[in-house]
Amino acid sequence: MVDQYPAIILLAPFFAAIAVSLFGSWKNGLCLPMAIIALGISLAASIALLGQVAAEGEIVYLLGGWSRPFGIEFRIDPLNAMLLVVVTTVALLTAVYSTQAAVLETPNKYPQFYTLFLLLVTGLLGMSLTGDAFNLYVLVEVASLTSYALIAMHSKRAVLASFNYIIMGTIGASFYLLGVGYLYIKTGSLNMVDIREILQETGLYGSKTIMVAFMLIMVGVWIKMAFFPLHGWLPNAYSYAPSSTSCILAPLMTKVTVYVMIRMMLTVFGPEYVFQYLGWSNVVVWMAVLAIVAGSIMALAQTDLKKMFSYIIVAEVGYMVGGVWLANETAFIGAFYHVISDAFMTLCLFLAAGAIITKTGKRSISEMEGLFRKMPWTMVGFVIAALSMIGIPPTCGFFSKWYLINGAIEAGHWGYVVALLFSSLINAILFFKVFEVAYFSKPSHGQEKDENQPESAGTDGVGEPPATMLAPLLITASGLLLIGIFNQDIVILIRQAVSSFGFIGFLN
Amino acid sequence: MKTLGAIAVIITGALLLYASEDFPAWGDPHSPASQYRVSQHYILKTFEETSVPNMVTAILADYRGYDTLFETVVIFTAGIAIIAILRGPIDKRVRLRLASEKKLRESNLILAQTCRLLVPIIQLFALYVIAHGHHSPGGGFQGGVIFGGSLILLAISFQLQTALDRVSEKKAILLAGVGVLIYSGIGLVCLLLGGNFLDYSILHNLLQVDPITARSHGILGVEIGVAFTVASIMFAIYANLSSRGRMKGGL
Repeated sequence: MVDQYPAIILLAPFFAAIAVSLFGSWKNGLCLPMAIIALGISLAASIALLGQVAAEGEIVYLLGGWSRPFGIEFRIDPLNAMLLVVVTTVALLTAVYSTQAAVLETPNKYPQFYTLFLLLVTGLLGMSLTGDAFNLYVLVEVASLTSYALIAMHSKRAVLASFNYIIMGTIGASFYLLGVGYLYIKTGSLNMVDIREILQETGLYGSKTIMVAFMLIMVGVWIKMAFFPLHGWLPNAYSYAPSSTSCILAPLMTKVTVYVMIRMMLTVFGPEYVFQYLGWSNVVVWMAVLAIVAGSIMALAQTDLKKMFSYIIVAEVGYMVGGVWLANETAFIGAFYHVISDAFMTLCLFLAAGAIITKTGKRSISEMEGLFRKMPWTMVGFVIAALSMIGIPPTCGFFSKWYLINGAIEAGHWGYVVALLFSSLINAILFFKVFEVAYFSKPSHGQEKDENQPESAGTDGVGEPPATMLAPLLITASGLLLIGIFNQDIVILIRQAVSSFGFIGFLN
Repeated sequence: MKTLGAIAVIITGALLLYASEDFPAWGDPHSPASQYRVSQHYILKTFEETSVPNMVTAILADYRGYDTLFETVVIFTAGIAIIAILRGPIDKRVRLRLASEKKLRESNLILAQTCRLLVPIIQLFALYVIAHGHHSPGGGFQGGVIFGGSLILLAISFQLQTALDRVSEKKAILLAGVGVLIYSGIGLVCLLLGGNFLDYSILHNLLQVDPITARSHGILGVEIGVAFTVASIMFAIYANLSSRGRMKGGL
């Protein structure tokens, strides 16, 4: 049983997806409980697996019993063990949140929604588990295909946004596949660790094919994670999607792809090749600086709440890519810590936005008047997420920025430091702009009713969202504080993984 | 925007050409891909380890069976996704037109009789392709597509309704789910019997054969699962696309 945890994590949501597709249309009420139970099992197994990995180190699970490099294997080190916990937690919280939201936004398509939702989670978990470069592509396909459909299920605008996403996403996936093909031409293997060993042993570092393969794979994952200037598909896709879809996609899709980039750089090509032989770190970190600045400025120009959040994601992707490419341990810790904390920060923001939009029906920031009075608990969650985005201790956003900035100083990259501080400043402006409207402006039309019932929470029938929406939001918000307070434990785990990569300061 | 696209295409093309400079010669038996121990192992040991004469099938459904499981899931997802996006409420008014359609269906004698003869043969051939994947080119994907094609032929040559009378959309999706369930269920049984996921050799107790033959039987089982999914999703996608998600009329 114990050695089957990796399979259980993946199979629980997978079999639930099949069960929902078989029985869902017969009894709609079965869909949600099945999803929640499956994700609960998956979460429990991934926590157990994390404990196992922390105690014993890397775990390998051979699918079909075929050993490396003949079959496919799962390889779990502290990095993806943590990522698995993040993915299952976010999925479970979103599933609870979708209790009401899915009924409102995708009526009649209930079983299809949950089938796709669970398959999306399966795809993301598979991407995090696998130790095989081609298998990763297959699971990217599963995750992408489901996310295109989930986005398009909502409205006409969402269909167009999803179509853009399909085109961009398919180009990204093709680039990745082409890169893997080139690797196979030169090495004859698809197993990640095996490829790195062949690259090192047969002296393939000088090969042009390997270099182009690396470029193709990087561009592919950058498109998938919306790294500026390849971010064009993201804002519309995430802001027009149904709220439960954006709650699961926005936190997870970009973060898991950042993890894929890390895996490709450090496990497949190896830090020696990427940082020392190619030596492109400086260029990519400057691209990340550009992404951070551009993302922040574009966020500033938005009037739509969800769109503003989407552009913040573009800036955050810059944080993580830059942190990884700074090529030293501190920055890497910051980058991966940010993968974890940003998943929950984004989840918290999108949950809050979903609750606000479902209750008030308004998406524009200027229409958020009086929200602190109408839905105080929702706003508590929102404020914590915002403080974390700005980077105020003891929220987790502070600690990831702390490590990132320290890493950048260590590498002597001042442009990145300035960009990070600039983006934090912009985030402060962005969120205080929302607070100002929501706290100080009084709703102009609700004035009279207010005098009649001074203590009543809702002036136009708007109050707190139902408990199934509020509870995930508040749990996520307290999670942000907990991740911040227990940052040391997470950093120790990341350090454990980093030591196995053999990271040394390459930039200096 | 157009010039930007052109520049991106030219740069990518140049990169691909640049990379090809370093390629091993075409069909070179000493190229890394054919020299490395992975392909050597597959070529030399496949029959010994799985008792399947067709190497491609053994790699597809056993060595890399986990990949193929998720390829099947991709097809399944495509079907569900198309229904999720396209499927609208059933238009009740169209039902009235059906009477006139029936007349049209009977009038075209040659078409009707040819298809009546062809469809069972196509389906028989599909089953043969599925079952014979072990020994010759074929297997679940190919056989499934052929089987799905026979249903589409029915829908094209008669009316969409003719095919839907035999396999309704709901049934198609159900069968697709059953297909994925067969594949992953076999994997799950392996896991429950104490092996790893998709380790067919552990089935030997259940099947009363030696572990290597058990792998071969396991492969046949998953091929059948793949065929179910591919055939029914092919038809479900056709039915939805040709009728714009209304399940009436069609091409």
